[in-house]
Amino acid sequence: MEVRFDSVAFDRDGRRALDVPALTIASGRVTALLGPNGSGKSTLLRLVAGLDRPSFGDVRVGQSVVRGARAMRGVVAIAFQEPVFLAGKVRANLELGLRLRGFAPAESAKRAAAAAEALGIGSLLERSAHRLSGGEGQRANLARALVLRAPVTLLDEPLSGLDAQTRQQLLFELPGLLADFSPTTILVTHDREEAMRLASDVVILIDGRVRAAGPVGRVFRTPPDDQTARFLGYTILPADSATVAVPPGGLRPGPGAMTFELAVVAVIDTGLGWEVAGTIAGVAVRVAWDGAPPSPGDCVTVSWTPPTGG
Amino acid sequence: MAELWDGLREALRLIASGDAELREIAFRTVIVSGSATLLAMLVGVPLGYWLARARFRGRTVLVGLVNTGMGMPPVVVGLVVWLLLVRSGPFGGFELIYTKRAMVLAQFVISLPLVVGFTVAAVQALPSQLPDLLASLGAGRVRTLWLLAREANLGLLAAVMAGFGGVVSEVGASMTVGGNLQGNTRVLTTAIVTETSRGQNEKAIALGLILLAMAFAVNFVLTLAQQRRLR
Repeated sequence: MEVRFDSVAFDRDGRRALDVPALTIASGRVTALLGPNGSGKSTLLRLVAGLDRPSFGDVRVGQSVVRGARAMRGVVAIAFQEPVFLAGKVRANLELGLRLRGFAPAESAKRAAAAAEALGIGSLLERSAHRLSGGEGQRANLARALVLRAPVTLLDEPLSGLDAQTRQQLLFELPGLLADFSPTTILVTHDREEAMRLASDVVILIDGRVRAAGPVGRVFRTPPDDQTARFLGYTILPADSATVAVPPGGLRPGPGAMTFELAVVAVIDTGLGWEVAGTIAGVAVRVAWDGAPPSPGDCVTVSWTPPTGG
Repeated sequence: MAELWDGLREALRLIASGDAELREIAFRTVIVSGSATLLAMLVGVPLGYWLARARFRGRTVLVGLVNTGMGMPPVVVGLVVWLLLVRSGPFGGFELIYTKRAMVLAQFVISLPLVVGFTVAAVQALPSQLPDLLASLGAGRVRTLWLLAREANLGLLAAVMAGFGGVVSEVGASMTVGGNLQGNTRVLTTAIVTETSRGQNEKAIALGLILLAMAFAVNFVLTLAQQRRLR
């Protein structure tokens, strides 16, 4: 189902926390809401879930205007950032939403078991939900939302608070799970890699405003302004007349189309090669270095060559 | 020390003999304090829930007042209720003074802040995201309240125990508004005062032991329910 924002604004404590004149999140895709902390991502998600009401404007899911969380229960499922469970078994927690949506006990049990199996927590169904580890808790948290097979599933930072290994594993599993359980997914994250790996579309939110929206590749390739570019990992460097946004990993040693003078501060042995850290006109940069690295204090030439046609 | 032993012996004898007056006093104590606690739960739990979750100006002052009320001297409550209910008072027309209902009312006022205070603490100890989670899963208002109460059951049972314990043991308010009328408004605590003033120390000690045993029995049942939840 399509999610649409029409002249939506949300005020908190007398401050405009979110201002979205127009935004459409496509049906049948995974869309990442990407932005720094405090940019209004979770607020936007809460508006779709009906947990908060916009101060102005309408949020529509499909044809219907969002009015309250209970009214959205057949349409929207949400997994909150913090895995919070009711006292009782994991099974009861997974079945609760189904039961509240009027599913018969046998059907609820069957669906909960299937979702738990898919998320690799099939053996934990009889465990007390309050005794899950961090990774297990996050899987149960996702299972509780996915088990509902809602037309629109909302995931708030689904990989936060996980150790690196568990996070990588879930990054690997999530696309398949979303394809199976969730026709349309909106995913909040502050992590570029998560957005790239999990989503086909991305909406960049900074300071409560949409800075860019569209297919992930296009938005990442052509950020609309310096602030967005910097958030996406670009290095903003002074060029002849204005500034130039160099994409992550774009700087190479030696001369090229655009040449810069790098003052070397440190040389890092990554084990696989060298990385040179320093500044270009006061801007901190890092450059992967092949060949013999310079020494701290040196001034060396680096460059960026934009891809042809870009 | 010898008096204590005599008291214990007398208590056992009285209980074993099934003394009618004693049974009546003990029964009346449970009814009066039980009704007051029940009423305090009915009003205090929703009030405590609201106070724990609402955000408005003066909320902190209100919570502070409740916390102060948890230590309110029963005799002061009794005095105020007496002034309200006495024949010449504003509610004198109801003719409640020196009745069990007046005692229930006074004990309700004593018990209410205890129940509200413990409920506020119990609800605030719950994860703050729970209401949103339940709403998003599709729970209505009543269902949400019920599920949250179940989640906070340990704290709510503590509220019952505190509320009941606070009123079953008080003497000032019961004496003031009940009048300690034999066969009518005499409860265990006021009976103890009466027997002590008459010099009937053994009987007073016997009544005291029965009061303690009763309070223990009620709290033990509640504690069983509370601790079973932990397993």
